[in-house]
Amino acid sequence: MSKITSDSSAVDEATIIMSRMFDAPIDKVWECFTKPEHVSVWFGGVGFSAPVCEMDVRVGGIWKHVMRTPDGTDFPLEYVYLEVKKPMRLVWQPANHGKSTSGPPTNRTAVTLEDHGDRTKWTMVATFTSMEGREASIRMGYTNTIAQGCEKINELVKAL
Amino acid sequence: MTLSALADPTRRGILARLATADATVGELAEPYDMSLAAVSKHLKVLEAAGLVSRGREAQWRPVHLEAEPLQAVTEWLEEYRRFWDRSLDSFAAYLKTMPAPPRTTNKPKSKRHK
Repeated sequence: MSKITSDSSAVDEATIIMSRMFDAPIDKVWECFTKPEHVSVWFGGVGFSAPVCEMDVRVGGIWKHVMRTPDGTDFPLEYVYLEVKKPMRLVWQPANHGKSTSGPPTNRTAVTLEDHGDRTKWTMVATFTSMEGREASIRMGYTNTIAQGCEKINELVKAL
Repeated sequence: MTLSALADPTRRGILARLATADATVGELAEPYDMSLAAVSKHLKVLEAAGLVSRGREAQWRPVHLEAEPLQAVTEWLEEYRRFWDRSLDSFAAYLKTMPAPPRTTNKPKSKRHK
């Protein structure tokens, strides 16, 4: 029962909302969030790298990214920017959002930055569309590949 | 399909109820101010999404929760959340290594030349 309750809150309206406070002014956060030389460093987390990261940050512009997991698997990603309001708001979605019927479920992501002087509040709303026909591909291992990469990193960190 | 089936609060309530035990349509309708036909309609949506199944043997055809598609969806969403948690940990650490850009006031509208 408790499992279902928490699960259904996770898919409530099919959105995920996350928020964080960063110890940096809004301009700096925007810069590190929208410039490839920065994004390629942090995107994915520790152990992930980006052999390709090109960002054309304007409405209709493309963000091309190849995400390399810690175990060396490459995931090519292509996003299009829907809304760009420097330094407050950035909205993007996969270039094939709503068109592709294979692969993992896709979503639109909206990030809003809030100026708190030396700090910045970061809020992300990820909106997922129907997952029709996609559960199978999830089971086929896309999720597992990324998760396995992370487990390796966790082991490494523990070993240090 | 799973997600649209879950978008309705009544259907989520039905699933939560079924997580405790199988139930008949009548039992499922009890907490709601709606007809059996309306509840049956919701069940059809859930059934089409593979989230519930109906027993055939018993005359009262108990409704049973099928957890697997629900789990596939929630697993993916959880993975997505973990992905961004990791990314933002990394982002916070990276911000600390960066010198602050010059900034004269706290006004976000100050013009900067790039």
